[in-house]
Amino acid sequence: MTRGSQAVTKSIGSAIRGTFRSAKLRTNDNERPKAKVEWAELIGRIATHGDRDAFRLLFVHFAPRVKGLMLKAGASGEEAEEIAQDTLLAVWRKAAQFDPASAGAPAWIFTIARNLRIDAVRRSARAGFAVPDAELEYLAHPADSPETQISRRQDTARIADAVALLSSDQSAAIRMSFVEDRPHAEIAEALRIPLGTVKSRIRLAMNRLKFLLEEPK
Amino acid sequence: MTIAHHPPEELLAAFAAGKLDEGEHLVIAVHASQCPACRCFVRAVETIGGAAIESAKPYAMSKGAFEALMAQIDQSPKTQMPQPVHHDADEDGLPEILRHYRIGPRRRIAPGVSLRPIELPGTGKSRAFLLKSGPGTRMLEHTHSGVELTCVLKGSFSHVGGRFGPGDFDFGDESLDHQPLVGDGEPCVCLVAMTGDLRMNGFFGRLISPFIRL
Repeated sequence: MTRGSQAVTKSIGSAIRGTFRSAKLRTNDNERPKAKVEWAELIGRIATHGDRDAFRLLFVHFAPRVKGLMLKAGASGEEAEEIAQDTLLAVWRKAAQFDPASAGAPAWIFTIARNLRIDAVRRSARAGFAVPDAELEYLAHPADSPETQISRRQDTARIADAVALLSSDQSAAIRMSFVEDRPHAEIAEALRIPLGTVKSRIRLAMNRLKFLLEEPK
Repeated sequence: MTIAHHPPEELLAAFAAGKLDEGEHLVIAVHASQCPACRCFVRAVETIGGAAIESAKPYAMSKGAFEALMAQIDQSPKTQMPQPVHHDADEDGLPEILRHYRIGPRRRIAPGVSLRPIELPGTGKSRAFLLKSGPGTRMLEHTHSGVELTCVLKGSFSHVGGRFGPGDFDFGDESLDHQPLVGDGEPCVCLVAMTGDLRMNGFFGRLISPFIRL
């Protein structure tokens, strides 16, 4: 699996050109940058020179979707809006810490939103403090040796490949069960399987993901 | 360091989705921070989470949300990374994540056994603490009735389930009958999260329940 940095750099270049072209012509939210590398580039622009146009693109795309996911996962409208707002605030503030070699911007944004959700639940119980293990995996580690950085890059590629190789039913099972916290009845309906088999389907999806993630011997 | 014992995938996925009680969350975070395989699994589920955001039906933000956010950013554009809490030399070599938590004073609970409670931010159902046992300590025979998650930080212990060294994860419930024996040579330090009510009968719970205030 070779992912030369040259190729990545080149695709960032063309991606960013495409991004800004489409930003100018954009007529609705559905027209957006497609590859994750483009999001990473926008985040990089926030980090290097506080680029507000780049941030607006990220906001327009991600804030309503974070809100949508939070609503789906059971948050109230007010909570969902607040988490979406705070997630994008964190994207701005933590832009310099985002590691483009990590699993990608949507996954990073997911972890931010997830931790804000955990914090929101805690706050409602007692004045809390931030989750410190928050986005550790997504932060750049400048002190890492070149070997470690290469192995992180290889991990990232393997993770992306593994997730891509799951069947759509398998990733739906994991998404609905864990990320969206849907009841088994809904999962059964979505996958068109008997209710009694949902649990074993989830187990199978987990096993397959684990198998796909195994390092080549 | 070879990690031999891992959390079940369901627990890793629940962790990645932010569904765990905070004590449990912490134990899994510490294990994953030391275990490349489990870290990859967690990141894979987070990638599915990212895809869930991408495919989520967008709900319009309220009017002026972006402008309000920019105003907030203009007020204070930067944020500080959470700074590690200062710990005494007693606990050197703690995993990075634990350095962000306040850890209470050590309490001796039995000969050769002591614990330090970890201050968790919320009021979840689980409690977490560092449990330190002297080399060769044999725990009382007991069965599990609560759920208990353990990650070994230093030293080792063994029971019918095998030998557990640094980074290893142990999951206890009523289905197992344990008599853990701490390895020779050095003390064993574990991060333990216990879920349940005040009547603890977990892994080390029966031993320490008269001593721990919850």
